[in-house]
Amino acid sequence: MARKQQENPQLDMTPMIDVVFELIIFFVVTIKQEDIFSRLNVNRPAPSPPSATETPKDDISCTIEIGKALYHGERNGVYVYNKKEVTLQQLEGYLRETAAVSVDTPIIVKCAENSPHKALVDLLDVCYKYKLFSVSVFTL
Amino acid sequence: MARKLQENPQLDMTPMIDVVFELIIFFVVTLTEAQKKDETIELENGQHGIVLTPEELPPEHMQIDIASVGRDGKRLATPRISMGDRTLTKEQVYERVKARYEKYNREFPVLIRADFETPHSAVRDVMDACTKAKIWKISFMAVAEDKTKGESRPALRTGKRKVFK
Repeated sequence: MARKQQENPQLDMTPMIDVVFELIIFFVVTIKQEDIFSRLNVNRPAPSPPSATETPKDDISCTIEIGKALYHGERNGVYVYNKKEVTLQQLEGYLRETAAVSVDTPIIVKCAENSPHKALVDLLDVCYKYKLFSVSVFTL
Repeated sequence: MARKLQENPQLDMTPMIDVVFELIIFFVVTLTEAQKKDETIELENGQHGIVLTPEELPPEHMQIDIASVGRDGKRLATPRISMGDRTLTKEQVYERVKARYEKYNREFPVLIRADFETPHSAVRDVMDACTKAKIWKISFMAVAEDKTKGESRPALRTGKRKVFK
């Protein structure tokens, strides 16, 4: 019953090292670093025409409107605040002041149907920057 | 009681290597399966938003994709609303959201992954489908940190869309 004594008990590491190298190269080549994503929350009021919802006096209301040019370039989105056309930088100033008074101030965003989504996300990002989290989105 | 001494101490690595390869193939296949998404969508920056991690969203959340260009890099006549790799109409979106709401019986986050050029009307359609199904809180997905240095979103900088084969 006696088995033959192993004459060379040393473990041969070569194939394992080969495989490990193969794996390292495989993963280095295939793994791509992904972007880190974020999310911006909004409240969606009941689907009713925006005219039916009366906005309280101390609310700030900001309307996003845009023409046909949806592509990157001259018109990324036209923001209208207090019936005046403003840039996002100007709007940021107003939102900063609003946040300084109270971060609970409801922000109402009214988007034109053909405005690019980018304009809305940019505005939401600014709202989040100043911790203005109660944002409602209407459609014009 | 003495056990018989092992006479052959050499370890046979072959089965281990087999198993390891099996595992690698399994993970590679399942990972690509899980990441199936509309790759034409380019997101806008939103570095102040809530950073998305796998733990941050509850498992019952829903992601809806809205693409505004096709795989050929050309603008679509009507934006494409999809979940996973299935194109949906707004009625189908409503049905899916409603079915999930009935299953969990509470509000869950709906994440809209819309291309930065999507006209608001398409986003509105999806939001209306959600509100109709009693979901009032909507999240928009944005890029918190661009790790690929804009490589994944060329149109955002240059206006030129990537063409997929």
